[in-house]
Amino acid sequence: MLDFLQLLIMGLMEGGLYALIGAAVVLVYKSTQVASLAHGQILAFGAFFFYLFLGPAGLPWPIALILTLLASGLMGFVIERVTLRRLIGQPLFASFLVTFAVFMFFDGIFQLLIKGQSHSFPHFLPKGVLHFGGLNLPQTQLVSFVTALVLFGLLALFFQYTKVGLGLRASAEDHQLAQSTGISVRQIFSIIWVISAIVAGVGGIATASITDVHYSLPALGIKGLTVALFGGLESLPGALLGGLLLGILENVSAGYLDPIVGGGVKEVAAYVMLLLILLFRPYGLFGLVRIERI
Amino acid sequence: MRPCGVFDEKYTQDIAIVRTWQHWAILIGALILVYLFPFFASYYLIAFINITCITIIVVLGLQIVSGYCGQISFGQPAFMAVGAYASAILTTKVGLSFWLALPLSGVAAGIFGIIGGAPSLRIKGFYLAVATIAIHFVTMWLILHLKITGATQGLNTTSPEFFGYPLDTDETMYFLIVTVMLIMTFGARNLARTKVGRAFVAIRDNDLAAEVMGMNLYYYKLLAFFISCFFAGVAGSLWAHLIMVVHPEQFTLNHALWYVGMIIIGGMGSIPGVFFGVFFVRVLDELVLFTAPMLVAWFPWLGMAPASSLSISAFGAVLVFFLMFEPRGLAHRWEIFKTSYRLYPFAY
Repeated sequence: MLDFLQLLIMGLMEGGLYALIGAAVVLVYKSTQVASLAHGQILAFGAFFFYLFLGPAGLPWPIALILTLLASGLMGFVIERVTLRRLIGQPLFASFLVTFAVFMFFDGIFQLLIKGQSHSFPHFLPKGVLHFGGLNLPQTQLVSFVTALVLFGLLALFFQYTKVGLGLRASAEDHQLAQSTGISVRQIFSIIWVISAIVAGVGGIATASITDVHYSLPALGIKGLTVALFGGLESLPGALLGGLLLGILENVSAGYLDPIVGGGVKEVAAYVMLLLILLFRPYGLFGLVRIERI
Repeated sequence: MRPCGVFDEKYTQDIAIVRTWQHWAILIGALILVYLFPFFASYYLIAFINITCITIIVVLGLQIVSGYCGQISFGQPAFMAVGAYASAILTTKVGLSFWLALPLSGVAAGIFGIIGGAPSLRIKGFYLAVATIAIHFVTMWLILHLKITGATQGLNTTSPEFFGYPLDTDETMYFLIVTVMLIMTFGARNLARTKVGRAFVAIRDNDLAAEVMGMNLYYYKLLAFFISCFFAGVAGSLWAHLIMVVHPEQFTLNHALWYVGMIIIGGMGSIPGVFFGVFFVRVLDELVLFTAPMLVAWFPWLGMAPASSLSISAFGAVLVFFLMFEPRGLAHRWEIFKTSYRLYPFAY
């Protein structure tokens, strides 16, 4: 039982990070109808920038954090401006493929920059472990998890109560209708890319403070897509639930199945779950069922 | 499109792929050149062409399922791996001849592809694309953890024999690979013109409309996956017997991204496009490989071995460029060139 609770808690902590990455994908999909793989790179670069500002540059962490978020936002803005804006009006699949081309472009640069090494953040988060009656809870993960939840809350508030958030929701419903009420859809696209890039950047910092900055960080972008599909591509609560569920499933299945089949369950559990979910609920747990007309 | 004043009088003329005596001359000349190639080319070039031809077979399969049938699949390397492993197991453990194992590994990959293509019955677009990524990971995980596939050790294979003559060098394998590639290309080219091929195109353009018009959507989608995975399996079998060892590291998700990129650069839904795309990307890759040491000499901070990273970046940049400015790929340019040549000196 204790084992199970421990796995559950670790899964929950990890799931919070997955939820953040999934949220970045969902944000973009909600308003632009483009599922983005590029956020995996924004995340990886966010983590790397943070390492640069904190380590070699030696800045205090609040300044490094702000600079990193600015850099991530800028990266999202540039990606949207240079590639995706030109594809407005083209088939949506072209936009999806462009994000994966962008992914590959930045992947090469990222691998060049880190030079095959693993970089860890110097003294940023508390490293100790909390104990609750036999359960272990690393403080780093707890802080990351709480950050993820707070960010989710902020996003929800932003969408619900600000004017820009209202515009974002309107253009998510219908681009033409939004445009005709005076909302600049292009501007909305820029804003949503910047916001989602910042979310991805936070996700990158939070993830890398647990796993260090290393070569497989961009692959989390695929995890993000998985989470987003899990919860349904249009649903922000779906991303939260999907991420948490995925983290728990991965850890619990790895904890119980690894001894039987000899390791590696964690890498594949997410994908098996995804296939099952897509088989029974093709549009995810909370996604909108699309009714097509010819 | 026929030039002005050319009329087909018989049905056989109308459907002929090779139409005029000039076509025949070019075709036969090209075939002779292709088969004489190993006698005057360097070892490096032959090795390059071998890998390129295997890639062409895989990408032909991908073109059928993605370019013609519209079901984007990132699972192609996994299906290729299934073919490669099937071939390795059939030749070394079961003791079949390579010539039987080659089509059988294609069929094995094809049957596996039907299972892998099953999600396409309910989902499409990027839902399907991500589902095929999931299938890729699950397949590679299975290969890594099953006893029969040799887990992390991989499997060793033997050289095929041609009437007692072992095909154990790149030069001799060249003849086998090129022959198989030509047969597969011919098959793919003809498939696109049959009832099945037209059904694929209809499904790509609007699957709902195709179904309303009486096509069995499930049958044709699964058939597309079967055929495409058959191609991947055959290519995997050739790969296994060319490299002589199969290992999970040879079939990564990056390869899937490269293959999809190749059909985009070449042109979706066009068989010549496959050749353009594969050659373009492979040559780009080699160019980066050559220029990387020079770049390092100029910019020492790039590190010791930037070639693989640089080639990924270059590929990504080219792909972005093509998607934005030439979404119909090099095949479209080729069509424009052919038409203007045919109509010269008139504009249209």
